Amino acid sequence: MRSNDTDFRLSAQLGFQPLEKPRPRPALRRIARARPPKFAPRRGAWLTWMFLAPAVVLVGAMMYYPMIGTVVESFYSTSFINPHPQFVGLALYKKVFASGEFGQIVWNSCIWTVFVVLFQNLIGFLTALLLNQRLPTTGLMRSLVLLPWILPGVVGAILWRFMDDPQLGLINSFLLSLGLVDHGVAWLASTSTAMAAAIGAAVWKGFPFSTVIYLAALQNVDQEQIESAIIDGAGRVQRIVHVVLPSMREVIAINLVLTTILTFNYFDMIWVLTRGGPENATHIFPTKIYELGFGEFRFGEAATYGVFSILVLALLIAAYFLIQRSGLRWRTR
Amino acid sequence: MSATIKPLVGKAGLTLLQIALAFVILLPFFWMVSVSLKPPTEPFAIPARLWPQNPTLDNYVTAFRPEFRTYFVNSLIVSLSTVAITVGLALPAAYSFTRAQTRLVFAIMGLVVAAQMFPASAIIIPIYKMMKGAGLLNTYVSLVIAYVTITLPVAIWMLRGFLARLPIELDEAAAIDGAGPLRTFIAIIVPLCRPGIVATAVFVLIVTWQEFLFALSFTSTRDMRTLPVGMNDFIGQYGIRYGELMASSVLISLPVVAVFFLLQRQFVAGVTAGAVKG
Repeated sequence: MRSNDTDFRLSAQLGFQPLEKPRPRPALRRIARARPPKFAPRRGAWLTWMFLAPAVVLVGAMMYYPMIGTVVESFYSTSFINPHPQFVGLALYKKVFASGEFGQIVWNSCIWTVFVVLFQNLIGFLTALLLNQRLPTTGLMRSLVLLPWILPGVVGAILWRFMDDPQLGLINSFLLSLGLVDHGVAWLASTSTAMAAAIGAAVWKGFPFSTVIYLAALQNVDQEQIESAIIDGAGRVQRIVHVVLPSMREVIAINLVLTTILTFNYFDMIWVLTRGGPENATHIFPTKIYELGFGEFRFGEAATYGVFSILVLALLIAAYFLIQRSGLRWRTR
Repeated sequence: MSATIKPLVGKAGLTLLQIALAFVILLPFFWMVSVSLKPPTEPFAIPARLWPQNPTLDNYVTAFRPEFRTYFVNSLIVSLSTVAITVGLALPAAYSFTRAQTRLVFAIMGLVVAAQMFPASAIIIPIYKMMKGAGLLNTYVSLVIAYVTITLPVAIWMLRGFLARLPIELDEAAAIDGAGPLRTFIAIIVPLCRPGIVATAVFVLIVTWQEFLFALSFTSTRDMRTLPVGMNDFIGQYGIRYGELMASSVLISLPVVAVFFLLQRQFVAGVTAGAVKG
């Protein structure tokens, strides 16, 4: 057992390297082969279910059941003045649809998600390429790069509120000293710049995660293929386009969908930066739901927005699993 | 001649790019620490000065007020309980997930793992009402239940990545040596999975330490608030007393940053194992 143990731990300590499957000692293998492995799955079937039960029950009761609850909730109307739920059928959907707010929130959510995901993955991929080079600073940079991601979201948001401050912020100081603006700009207070400022802050906070995933994937790229591409006279860019990117197709697709889901759900950054303001300019689904539900006690309308975001997420999750299944098929071929 | 110089120039250029990247990542951090060390009047200098002229710890002394200490203790209790319970539930579940290769288990666990992508905001109202009905609002229990639920699917997914790499022959050899299924799990699988457990625990800690939405909705009194919610309150209370705000930010970030740097290798291996290998 000893050698397995150390093998496994050693490979785990390689950090960015993928974990090697530990090889069983020859003696173990002989014993395993001597008996048909058929009995293994049957043995301890009771334990399988005992092990699974707590997780299944908890996730079922706290995530799937409330999802039904949200749909039910969307048929009942409540307000601050009248807190007793009243059945109103589809009236809340009509109300929400008819209001111009709904359209704006769909639009904001799209802009927010598309740009954060795009920049986060683009910058993440480029920095992964950069950190995949053998340079004196590489080791240190690999440690530092995750810092924004582990920083608590609320702290990150407060930090960027400060960076964007019209009088005291570093960004305005910088732009002023370059002469690009003639007075401090209140980035978060203007309807035309607030969303861009929020997107910038979210990208800064989120890109390191993509970097780490892409870095690990880059180290899985077949080195022989790259070497033969070099022999064929392929330059740096050609190698990336023709060898690296195709072999990372699956990881990139999965990561794109995953960051889309996480960004669409991301509440902390916008809530602390702007609370959805000014004039709804930065309200996205999660912040609007929170404001309607816990700010105005209009649980029904909040649930109506919730149902829409569940539908969007269901589509994205389906995409995620389709990509992953097709990925599994590519590998086994 | 040029054949030896060219790669050197390229390397120097790339190193410069890495330094530029470090600058982009670290500048806001540096600014945070710098402002936290400035005496209350100094952040108002225009244009902003990067280095504090008269560094002082005054802001830390004022930031470490009694309510901050309460929030800190609350965060600690909730986070550590969540880490222990989540890992304790996820490890057996992930083990069964990898060992029982039946369609039913796969389907059920697929649903469990998919739950990590649910929008918390969309289901928070029914959960809030459930907690209210059970009389658990404004307690540690409500937060721990919510946090275990949101971290469990990811934890199972991460641990599955580790457990799938342990060969089934191990279980079979243990069975031949006379160990029952439960003993096999406790005596053989759990010790071998230590790196995975560490990585998962760090991940769960980072997630719960910063969780904001549930904490904001479920806690109504000051004595139950966690650090992120407390920080959010500080913004309004202090107006633009950024020095104190930045000092508390540094204090909140220190525990997770320290844990991360201590256990970094295992953590990164754990996060990427599930994502890259699928």
